[in-house]
This record gives sequence, C-alpha cells and structure tokens, in this order.
Amino acid sequence: MLSIDFGAGGAVVIAGRLDAAQAQAAQTFLDGVQGAVTLDCSGLEYISSAGLGVLLKTQKRLLASSGKLRLTGVNRHLQDIFRYSGFDQIFEIEAAP
Amino acid sequence: MSGRSIRRRLSVRDMEAILAVTAKLAAPFDLMTMLSEVVSAAKQVLHADRGSVWLYDAAADQLVLEIATGIAPVRVPANAGIAGACAQTRRIINVPDCYADDRFNPDVDKQSNYRTRCMLTLPLVDHKDVLVGVMQLLNKADGVFDENDEALATTLAAQCAVALQRVRMTEAVIEGEKMRQELEMARVVQMSTLPAVMPSLEGYDVYGTTQPASLTGGDTFDLSATDRGVLIVLGDATGHGIAPALSVTQMHAMLRMAFRLGADLESAFMHVNNQLAATLADDRFITAFIGLLDETAHRVRFHSGGQAPILHFQSATGTCARHDPTSFPLAAMPLTSLRPAVCLDMLPGDMLVLLSDGIYEYHDAHGEQFGEQRVEAILRESQGKSMAELSALLLDAVHVFAKGAPQEDDMTLVLVKRHAAATANRTFRRSFDSLQPIFAFTSDFLARHGIDPGILPTVDLTVEELFTNMVKYSPAGGAEVRIEMAAIAGGVEVALTDYDVERFDVTRAPDVDTGLPIDQRHPGGLGLHLIRRLVDSMDYEYSTESRRSRITFRKTSAGPVPPRAMPKDEGKDAFD
Repeated sequence: MLSIDFGAGGAVVIAGRLDAAQAQAAQTFLDGVQGAVTLDCSGLEYISSAGLGVLLKTQKRLLASSGKLRLTGVNRHLQDIFRYSGFDQIFEIEAAP
Repeated sequence: MSGRSIRRRLSVRDMEAILAVTAKLAAPFDLMTMLSEVVSAAKQVLHADRGSVWLYDAAADQLVLEIATGIAPVRVPANAGIAGACAQTRRIINVPDCYADDRFNPDVDKQSNYRTRCMLTLPLVDHKDVLVGVMQLLNKADGVFDENDEALATTLAAQCAVALQRVRMTEAVIEGEKMRQELEMARVVQMSTLPAVMPSLEGYDVYGTTQPASLTGGDTFDLSATDRGVLIVLGDATGHGIAPALSVTQMHAMLRMAFRLGADLESAFMHVNNQLAATLADDRFITAFIGLLDETAHRVRFHSGGQAPILHFQSATGTCARHDPTSFPLAAMPLTSLRPAVCLDMLPGDMLVLLSDGIYEYHDAHGEQFGEQRVEAILRESQGKSMAELSALLLDAVHVFAKGAPQEDDMTLVLVKRHAAATANRTFRRSFDSLQPIFAFTSDFLARHGIDPGILPTVDLTVEELFTNMVKYSPAGGAEVRIEMAAIAGGVEVALTDYDVERFDVTRAPDVDTGLPIDQRHPGGLGLHLIRRLVDSMDYEYSTESRRSRITFRKTSAGPVPPRAMPKDEGKDAFD
C-alpha cells in the first residue's frame, strides 16, 4: 500500500509501494503541490514505471513554473530504477544514508 | 482343618520350632540347599527319622525327587504311590503301618536297607494354591504320627511350599536374565549393521529407522548407495529371539555384498533367497522388500518376498497406490525363476513408504490395529514434512493410538521421497487490483523456497510491468493471466501466460532514449526498457493457433548488477 502526505518539515513524505494500482492516488496528491518540493522517499520501498510516470508528470509541471521536485532518502533498488530509466538526469536525487 | 483348630493344638514349643524354621527358610538358598533345609526342619519339628520332598513338574505331570546336585533326579507319574495319591487329592495322608497299605512300594526300603514303619505324606501348596510338591516323613521317633503331628506338619508344609516356590521362581528369573543377556548381544549385532547415516541424494529425502520391541525382533532395513542405485531394504524375520535377529543380519550382509559385487536385482534376490533357504531352519523365513532407486531416472525397481503393503504415495492425487509382493518370503524355498520386478515412477513429491507389520498391527488394549488407513491419512497430511519428521509423526501417532498398550513387535520405517518441484502457479484477474495478491504470491514463493529476498523488487517490477501491459492491451473480462513460478539455482524463473491476444514480442520492443531532455520524455515503453536491464534473461513465445502469449524471465542473485555510483553531479547539471 502507499501513503503520501506533507511531513513536519514541509517535505512531501511518500511511503510504501508506488505501483500501477497506487499511481492515481499519488498523482492526485502531487497535482496539488507547487514550487520547490522535496519528496522524502526514505519510506518508499518500490516503484514501477507507473510511479515513474507520476514523478515525470509532476516534474514537468513544476519546472514549467520555475519549481522542481527533489528526491531524498532514495534506496538502492530505486536508485537502480532511476539510473536505468535516465531519471537520475531529470531529478535531483539524494541517496538514503 | 481350620486355622483356628491348628492354633489351639500347637504348643508354645512347637510354635517356637516352626518360627525358627520359618526364619531359616527365608534365607536365599539354591534349590538343593532349600530342599535339604526343608527336610531337616520337618524332621526336627516332627521328630521323624527320615524325610524327602518330591517336587511337582506341572509340564510333565510328574513328581521329581532331587537326590543330589549332578545326579539325575527320580521321576514318577504324579499319581503313583502314596505321594501320587497325596498330590492328586492335596490332602495329608497318615499311614501308621506302611506294609499294611497297598499303595506302599517296599522296593525303596529294600534298595536302601531300611524299614519304613509309619509315614506322613503332606501336600506342599503355596499361598496362590499352586501345588509345589509332596513331603514325606518316615518313622516317628517314639511311635506313629498323630493328629497333633498332622496339624503341626500342615503349618510347616505351608511355610516350606512358599520357600520352595520362591527359590524355584528366583532360579527361573536368573535363567531368564542369562537369556536376556544373550538376546541383548544378538540385538547389538543386529543394530550394528543398520545404516548409521542416511545417504545424501540429489533431489531425494530418504530416512529409515527401527524401534525394537523389548525382546529381540527380526526387523532390518538398509538405505545405501551402490553402483546399481540406492539399495532400499526392509526385512522382517519370523519370530522373536536370537535366531531371527541373526537371520536378518545375515540377509542384510548378503545383499550388501551381492550389490557390491555388481549383481543385478534379480540375481541378488534369487541367490540370497536360495542361500537362506539352504541355511536357515525349515520353519524360518524372512519377508523382505528389496529395491533399487535410480535417482536420475526417478524409478524404483523392486522385488518383494512376502513384504506388504508397499505404499507408493502419489503427490499429484494425494493417494496411495498399493503394491503386492512379487514372490514368497525369502528362505521359504529355493527359487528357480522370478516374476519381473515392479517399477515405480517417482514423480515430484511422491513417496515410497515401507513399514514393518509391527506398525500396522500394533494394537490397543481392545485389540484394534493401527492399520493402513491411519498411515495413509498421515501421509496425506504431511506432504511438506521431511522424511525424518514424517517418521516421528507416524511413530507418535502409533503411541497415541495404543494408549499405553505394550509394543509387541519391532517397528521399522523406510521412507523415500522425491522432492516436490519448487513450483507454484496461480491465475489473476485482469485488473490493477490484482497487483496486491500478485505481490503476496511472489514474496510468499521466495520465502517458502528460501530464495534471496534481495531479488524480490526486481521480480515484482518485472511481473508488474508485464502484467499491467496485459491488462492495458487486452480486452477486459478475458481469460485470467496465469503466473507460474519455479525455483532455480540462486533465484526464480517466472512465466506469465496471456490468452486470446495478438503477438507482441516484449523482448524486441524498442528501447527508450533515456538521454532526451525532460520535455521530450514520456513514460511509454519505460517499463519494458527497465525490466530488460534488470532480469538475467527473458523469452517470448506465441502460439498462433491458440493466440496464447507466454513471457518467461529469470532473475538470480548472480544476475546483472547495476553500477552503484550515483551520478549526482550530472543530475544537478540537468537542472541548473
């Protein structure tokens, strides 16, 4: 399952599994954010291409209005996915410690 | 004569004499000493000149007079003479003038140059009312035996009977102990031939064990690798004691030697049978299952000399096929020809179950037997268990069933199982809602088969991308998608089958240009692009007739590992 909400420091905290079944819920939430947004991925276990599509659409929208999406706490598996998909070139990514 | 009347007539002196004798009779004498003590005590109390004790041999229905250790005893029919009359009636016989009594045999007097005047003959009956023997006392010192003597002698006789019976039983126990030690030795020899460790076989789990009854039974088993395959033996010799223990030990050794010398199943079975027929006693035989497992062809060939039932548990149906013996028990008679061996094909999850009749015929206090149905029920319920666990389950079940009824026969188990294929398959409705049950299915499979959980995200990603494509590009409400998983070395092989679809070879789908600027990027094709890089290999099959599409991929821990360095700076450049 997936949870997505604003965290204490103003970042958007996403946790769980961002798969095709959960993509729409994530998209709906992210459609409401503006400006420079940090997405805390430290609780995100899994992402598929459907989830990547959500992130891509959000990034395009934010970049068009001088904002951007920054990803933090990205785990090994997600790093592989971002690298293979070239998303490491369109997002600022901070790996999990 | 009642106890009350005896007590009234006995004098204090008589009582003291009897008590002294009773104390003496409690000593742990051997039989000859005890007989001599009894006679001398009786002579003393009754003032008799001579005395003797005839012991009753119930098996032969004879009276036996022990003369001295090492000299053969005198035996007479238990109804002969005055002693015989006493044994028959169990009543005291007081003869004041022997030569006037027809039952008296004067030959003994002649031989021993003695003259018997009067004689008191008493039955020796112990407190369980068992006739132990007959005591005779001759020639009272000052006259004939009177009523007082009869009363005294009756009291004394009861003490003597108990003392003699105690000695006889002690000697029987000692004899039994000697026998027990010999049985113990035979048991050690028999057990020493059983396999100490089970052979380790690729793709099979084998286990054998034997639980001896208290006496030496005649069970044996073997599970050992030979050039001809894995030798599987369960043998059970008739009877209990040293002879069957040695018979099965002999058979065990002969079989091992035969297969070590390269004999085939038929020759080994026939020669061992014929050799045993020539050497074992005519009333002895051995029921035996003798089989060879070819663990690469997954086939058991066997002969069974009277050993049954032979249970072949078939995993596919969850039922047991039951096989009969191919021949009569070993050693019953020489064999000149043999029916063909029986072949069992061991499919994944199948078990060969050989149990000695000590298990099937174990009966509870009401005489009900454990039986085959209980065995089969346990087999059905224990499909995931190891053979050692199954063996323990079966033995536990027997003990629970018996509710403390004693074990009367050896219980021996020989269990051979071909591992169940590490596969699983399920179908899933064409809906994104199926993703959650799919992920539960994949993670459960990896956990169940001990597969590295580190590959799970890639397995899930690949299955999700393939499955969601099938959902998106096929008509809704069509046949469900089948997902099959199989454990392979270091990982899994997963196949997704989709029905009634056009050909679309996922392995040839074009790559995504990941270097494009973001405004030219779109998510399409990204899934296939990713999974082709993450899995070890992927195949596509399409059947034009059935319009069936099947995608198979493999992922192992040793598969492609992406570079670990995060190109952070490049990423930043793209934005700044």
